[in-house]
Amino acid sequence: MRISPDEVLKVARLAELAVAEADLPTLVRQFNDIVGYVAQLDALPPEGDITPFASGPAAVRWRPDVVGPEPLVLPPAALAPAFRNGFFVVPRLASMEPE
Amino acid sequence: MSLRALGADTAARLRAAESLNAVLHWSEAHLEHEAARLEAGPLGPLGGMPVAVKDNIVTLDLPTTCASRILEGYVSPYEATAIRRLRAAGGMVAAKTNLDEFAMGSSTEHSAFGRVHHPLDPALVPGGSSGGSGALVAAGVVPAALGSETGGSVRQPAAFCGVVGVKPSYGRVSRFGLVAFGSSLDCISVFGRTVSDAARVLSAISGEDPRDATTLAEPPMPVPEPRADLKGLTIGLPKEYFPPDLDPGVRAGMDRAIARIRDLGARTVEVSLPHSPYAVPTYYILAPAEASANLARYDGVRYGPPRPAGLPDVRALYQATRGHGFGPEVRRRILIGTYVLSAGYYEAYYGKAQRMRARIADDFSQVFATGIDLLFTPTTPTPAFRAGEKTEDPVQMYLADIFVCAVSLAGLPGMSLPIGRSGGLPIGGQLIAPYGADGPMLAAAAALERGLDPTEEVR
Amino acid sequence: MTWETVIGLEVHVQLGTRTKMFCGCAALYGEDPNTNVCPVCLGLPGALPAPNAEAIALGTRAALALNCTVHPVSIFARKNYFYPDLPKGYQISQFDRPLATGGRLVIESPERGTLEVGITRLHLEEDAGKSIHDRFPGLTAVDLNRAGVPLAEIVSEPDLRSPGEARAYLTALKQVLVYAGAGDCSMEKGHLRVDGNISVRRRGETRLGTKTEVKNVNSFANIERALISERDRQIALLEAGGRVTQVTMLFNAASGQVRPMRSKEESHDYRYFPDPDLPPLVLPPEWVETQRQALPELPGAKIARLESQYGLPGYDARVLAGEVALADYYEATVAAGADPKAAANWVMTEVMTAWNETGSLPVPAASLGALITLVKDGTLSLQAAKKVFAEVRSSGGEPRGVAERLGLIQVRDESALEEWVDAVVAAHPDEVARYRAGETKLVGFLVGQIMKRSQGKADPKGVQPVLLRRLQS
Repeated sequence: MRISPDEVLKVARLAELAVAEADLPTLVRQFNDIVGYVAQLDALPPEGDITPFASGPAAVRWRPDVVGPEPLVLPPAALAPAFRNGFFVVPRLASMEPE
Repeated sequence: MSLRALGADTAARLRAAESLNAVLHWSEAHLEHEAARLEAGPLGPLGGMPVAVKDNIVTLDLPTTCASRILEGYVSPYEATAIRRLRAAGGMVAAKTNLDEFAMGSSTEHSAFGRVHHPLDPALVPGGSSGGSGALVAAGVVPAALGSETGGSVRQPAAFCGVVGVKPSYGRVSRFGLVAFGSSLDCISVFGRTVSDAARVLSAISGEDPRDATTLAEPPMPVPEPRADLKGLTIGLPKEYFPPDLDPGVRAGMDRAIARIRDLGARTVEVSLPHSPYAVPTYYILAPAEASANLARYDGVRYGPPRPAGLPDVRALYQATRGHGFGPEVRRRILIGTYVLSAGYYEAYYGKAQRMRARIADDFSQVFATGIDLLFTPTTPTPAFRAGEKTEDPVQMYLADIFVCAVSLAGLPGMSLPIGRSGGLPIGGQLIAPYGADGPMLAAAAALERGLDPTEEVR
Repeated sequence: MTWETVIGLEVHVQLGTRTKMFCGCAALYGEDPNTNVCPVCLGLPGALPAPNAEAIALGTRAALALNCTVHPVSIFARKNYFYPDLPKGYQISQFDRPLATGGRLVIESPERGTLEVGITRLHLEEDAGKSIHDRFPGLTAVDLNRAGVPLAEIVSEPDLRSPGEARAYLTALKQVLVYAGAGDCSMEKGHLRVDGNISVRRRGETRLGTKTEVKNVNSFANIERALISERDRQIALLEAGGRVTQVTMLFNAASGQVRPMRSKEESHDYRYFPDPDLPPLVLPPEWVETQRQALPELPGAKIARLESQYGLPGYDARVLAGEVALADYYEATVAAGADPKAAANWVMTEVMTAWNETGSLPVPAASLGALITLVKDGTLSLQAAKKVFAEVRSSGGEPRGVAERLGLIQVRDESALEEWVDAVVAAHPDEVARYRAGETKLVGFLVGQIMKRSQGKADPKGVQPVLLRRLQS
């Protein structure tokens, strides 16, 4: 089952990754190689109900509701590529909608 | 040597090793500052040990770039828990080391700032993704270094470079401040010239952290008492890790090491981990999936590269930032990860991979339940390969992780010990322990270390 | 052609915690932008979430108050999408293993009376920051103070059949959540947000029509208006032979109309997966039971008890139970000796007015109790009592003392009454004669005159017998 360039572009859009025209053929080929490789799992027969595995603690620890954030040695303004009057600023939304 | 002299000596060594391209950030001023800090207070158990830090662990005074253009010049406003503990224990942060971009790679060829050269032969790769840290320790610049593992990124370069590389049990060391790649797999791990150096550093940085909900509710691991021999231990040799076409040098090294293991009094027995062939494809579904979400925060809004002018809207900002800021390997993995999580494919890929992971972990549990104390395998299928050899074919590069990957999926502690040389190139042997048995693993490794000359030719 | 409207509501309530859901930043309101932030809620490289114990407790109480099944194990999941005020590029929420499912809420439907509405689920999640589009020209400003604040998302079954019912559901939901202590649920502060899903179908049809989503509504009244507008739009469309498409409609408060958002190129694929940074959320059964014990008497139970314990009609009980503070005040007033029915009237009128104006209860319940008793035993007329209430409300004081100071105490002293009676009888000989001739209705006129002469101080109940004695003599 080959994945088409259109599908690759659709995935790239979901991931907000621009793909240059020139790079697309190589990317599609590599994408198919990788997906073809990992798809060997898909070929295995379906199993019964197995709980997904995770190492580490079995239950999440709860944090007490006490104010005490991790301190920032630099303020947001120092990190931001664009900052105005206390706000992060980005080019105005056009084709995007809020949630 | 005084701490100041130690700082100056480390600076000289870093300067002398510049051709390795193993370091992304260091400065004399920073080393002086570290030495002064250590001198000012009571010195912790590491006694001023200079430790290099992989550049995907956030530090306050040196930048953290993850070897990516998207974080070029980024200085973190907070410090990783592991770094805070390292420094409190008397460690001197020596430098930030080069890596495969965002820890995605097995050769350190995917750094945006140039590849790292193998200390013994610059045409070879040191392994990856923690190649910078491994190379520095191998070159004798620092006695220990922090790296990170998601699918073997410390054990594999440790084997290629001929140093000790230790991945602890998942949850042993806090990930708070480790830039996330595959969250359920990521482990801050340690390189050392010796098992003892690695164990001391690991002990210093380990322990429960309320900031990281995936840490084990346990105090820091004590430095284990090294074993004198391996009497009373049963070491399993999983047959899937000794294929007939194993590199002859690796095989010779393993044969020699296994003989030594028996000399030291351990019993060896063949075991089987039947789902081993599925480890790499499972990993290359789960890790990219988690990465695709972990790297979504790099959108150029709150931090990142200088903003290009004339962007028509915010979507253009995202695509410009991420398209130019991420290298090709990172982009490939984000795309694969997005694909395997997307509607219609989740069950076929991500769902199945999760279930396969459980089976792989179960293989190990079952073997350990039969009275096996440790497993011993080759760390890598071959010694260090040439730069450029595997960069054309992503899947070929993935297969370099074939012996280290399953351990990461199972969350187990594992380490690579240098066991000899083949044609002048280091060979690594891997010890794998049950979950939580980091101490006993290191104790046994110390005995084996004493019994083997890592520079001896094995053929 | 009769149409049936089908509505389901999705409500996000901010849980009343001190800190955010996954970090120790304060969950405050109205601070300078980007001052309540830390590496975690900024989504800085290397930061990790740590869940807030109080948010888990309040979410659990809310679920219990809504009669949900609280699941002993639930999973946090990542909801992946890009937006400037979503720092990590994903929201930590819950997906196929939420905190609670299968609840119900009793509401008073304007059309169908008392009604049970199903609650599909309640889950925990973090809020995003705020995007402000009109602060700087051509730019969107982002404030992350709100990013990470804990929310409970509550989804109703599509059991509502009118915009009025939707509003009634919201009123009842807010009441239960405030009672349960989940949060203040203030829409003005943005602590309660509502999205509506609405479709129409021909009456008798069992399949659901295509639904649209209605957003951007900032009050319960506007939810009703917005849903009316959208319902009418859908009906008009279908009656003209068109088809309803699944779009999101934004409400415009000024026009009272909804209009579609700019059409999306593709719908979102959120690619939900369990958050690997957060092990499962496990709620020990004893702990859940503790949360249940911590719940106060909930509205339904309180209304029933007010009816039976104080003999109040259902309407009165519901009004009094509207807010816990009022219900408690009412009961304290009765405990201070007031007649229950009189107390109910007082609380629903004078007290409620003060409460709605100021949000406070300036007259202590014990004082009101005493005041009501003064009316009952004839010391004060009702009008006089209202004056006393107003005086105590503004200047304080104790009712009897205030009444005496204002000279409002009703006079029941027989000799004083006889004086006024004699004076009026003397002043109106014609009416007296007519009364004695048989026009008994004139008693009312004479009592009125006596009240006037006494400047309202005469106790009307005491006046009548004295007057009658005098007239008959």
